[in-house]
Amino acid sequence: MSNSVFSVISRFVEEYRSSTPNKLKVIDAYLLYILLTGVFQFLYCVLVGTFPFNSFLSGFISCVGSFILAVCLRIQINPQNKRDFLTVSPERAFADFLFAHTVLHLVVVNFVG
Amino acid sequence: CFYAFVEDLCSLNQCKREQRCVFVTFCPNSCQSIPVSNDTRDLLLATVSEDSTASQIHQSVSALSALGLPLASQEVVSALKARISKEDNVLAIILALLTASRLSQQAELGDILEEIEDLAARLDDLGGVYLQFEEGLEATALFVSAAYSLSDHVDMEPPLKEDQVIQLVNSIFSKKSWDSLSEAFSVASAAASLSNNHFHVPVIVSAQGPAAVSHSHPFLRLQVTDVLCQPLSSASVLAESASAVSSKSAVLSQALFTLRDGVFELNFMASQPASGYYQFSVAIAGDSRFVANHVELKVKVSTRVAINNMDLSVVDKDQSIGPKTTRVEYPTKAKASFMADGHQNFAMTFQLVDETTGVELTPHQTFVRLHNQKTGQEVVFVAEPDSKNLYKFELDTAERKTEFDSISGTYALYLMVGDATLENPILWNVADVVLKFLDEEAPGTIQAKTLYVPKPEIPHLFREPEKKPPTAVSNTFTALVLSPFLLLLILWFKLGANISNFTLSPSTILFHIGHAATLGLMYVYWTHLNMFQTLKYLAIIGSLTFLAGNRMLAQKAKWFPLHFLSFGTRLISQI
Repeated sequence: MSNSVFSVISRFVEEYRSSTPNKLKVIDAYLLYILLTGVFQFLYCVLVGTFPFNSFLSGFISCVGSFILAVCLRIQINPQNKRDFLTVSPERAFADFLFAHTVLHLVVVNFVG
Repeated sequence: CFYAFVEDLCSLNQCKREQRCVFVTFCPNSCQSIPVSNDTRDLLLATVSEDSTASQIHQSVSALSALGLPLASQEVVSALKARISKEDNVLAIILALLTASRLSQQAELGDILEEIEDLAARLDDLGGVYLQFEEGLEATALFVSAAYSLSDHVDMEPPLKEDQVIQLVNSIFSKKSWDSLSEAFSVASAAASLSNNHFHVPVIVSAQGPAAVSHSHPFLRLQVTDVLCQPLSSASVLAESASAVSSKSAVLSQALFTLRDGVFELNFMASQPASGYYQFSVAIAGDSRFVANHVELKVKVSTRVAINNMDLSVVDKDQSIGPKTTRVEYPTKAKASFMADGHQNFAMTFQLVDETTGVELTPHQTFVRLHNQKTGQEVVFVAEPDSKNLYKFELDTAERKTEFDSISGTYALYLMVGDATLENPILWNVADVVLKFLDEEAPGTIQAKTLYVPKPEIPHLFREPEKKPPTAVSNTFTALVLSPFLLLLILWFKLGANISNFTLSPSTILFHIGHAATLGLMYVYWTHLNMFQTLKYLAIIGSLTFLAGNRMLAQKAKWFPLHFLSFGTRLISQI
């Protein structure tokens, strides 16, 4: 059983390395970074305590929000999805991404205290 | 008229127009001998028209009638009717009523008479007690005097019901001092008309002094007057019934008061009422004009109290020794003092009776006070009557030691008896009682009860700051949270995210500057600014960045990964 799982994983990794365009890999690296940052913040909260709670919340929400926006960007930029996003060019997607991030950070900085 | 006034009136003809009317208005009929010029007379007659105000018409009609000059009543009536419909206020209608009472009785005064009823409908009922115009006391009082003077003049009863008259009397005579001379005049005028008209005379009944009788003062005295406090000697005053307030049993029925020196009196003690309060219902007859002639009065019957069979004893708790009873007579004090310690009870029994009739009484206040001469301590108990109205008081030293603070010593015992219906309240030092408490419970020093001394201060406890983790831990975790950024840079480098396609065009530079400025603004927002200032700056920076970005779009440079990179630096704001 574990054999098949392992073979599935290695196949997946191989496919990923070969067929994913570079642009998407850049975004994937970014996604990993965001994920780790969020996990470490949560770990701190679990281990040490929730004081100050508003700061934890704002940092965590920032991670979550950024992750979501980056995923959206990845979806919109992916050439395989081009048919679904005929009106949205990659540059437009990126501009939307930047704007949404501005709003998100405005709220996050307001809440972080 | 006053004689000096007459002299002035002779120079009336030289006076100015308005002043002439006012001077003569309030003159009684004896002014008819004053010579008046034709000029003045024509002036007065000319004022009687629709174009003058109601008060001008009133003044000129009064002047004409006082001076005995002829006037056409019908013309006056029509002028008044026109004025009433034009000036539809209360005061104008009252003046019309007063004017009509000066006219001849043959004139058609029916319409003006109806105004009384309309005006009465305009009165405001305040709580069923007062009835007055919203214009105030003066208007109400003038209305009363005008209504009655016109009603007397035409000899028709005014359409005012009995309770309306009572409520009007309540309102008009509610004040003891008045704001202006005209207000005082209106009240006096109303009082005069209410005490001396053909139809309604309100009767005022009040007790002379407090409404109380006793054996020394057996007569209940009532003053029966009109509103001017003139005694109504022709009236006959009858007490229709008198019943006790507590038991509702009738004591008196149909007893006539006798008139003596202008005061009506009745010997109530002759019916031998027990002490207490009685409700009297009094009727005043004698004149069909009397209004408010049924009155309810509360009368108090007082008596003197005597204490009988005051027995003091010290009873042993286990009842092994028989009680020794000492009888004390009021107002003497018992010769020997009584001893009571933990094993004995001190007991007191007595009876309270009416001095004259011997009937048992239960006054409101029957207290037993023990006063420690040395320390000044005082403890008061209540003596309760049993079913046979025998008062009992028992003191158990062991049970009551908290009231005494366990202080042993000689206490003077007082009996206090009081009630509203008692003429002789009693404070009697009956005996001395020596109380012994267990010594170890007595406090060392006797402290006066500190009720009104400043209390100990309560210090304010500020909110404790929350426990923070040690700085080392926080720093470790900060580093941990920032570490994935390094990972990101490494990964991007490995992927070959290129900065090589960096074209130096003004829009690109502007875009980057704008972007960096946004990041800087976020930091400054965190440290210094508030939301409004931030939004203002963001609007400026954002629009520049947007325009520059648009331009770059047009150029379609491969700027994507670089900007993505620069964007990642935003996330340094995470704590």
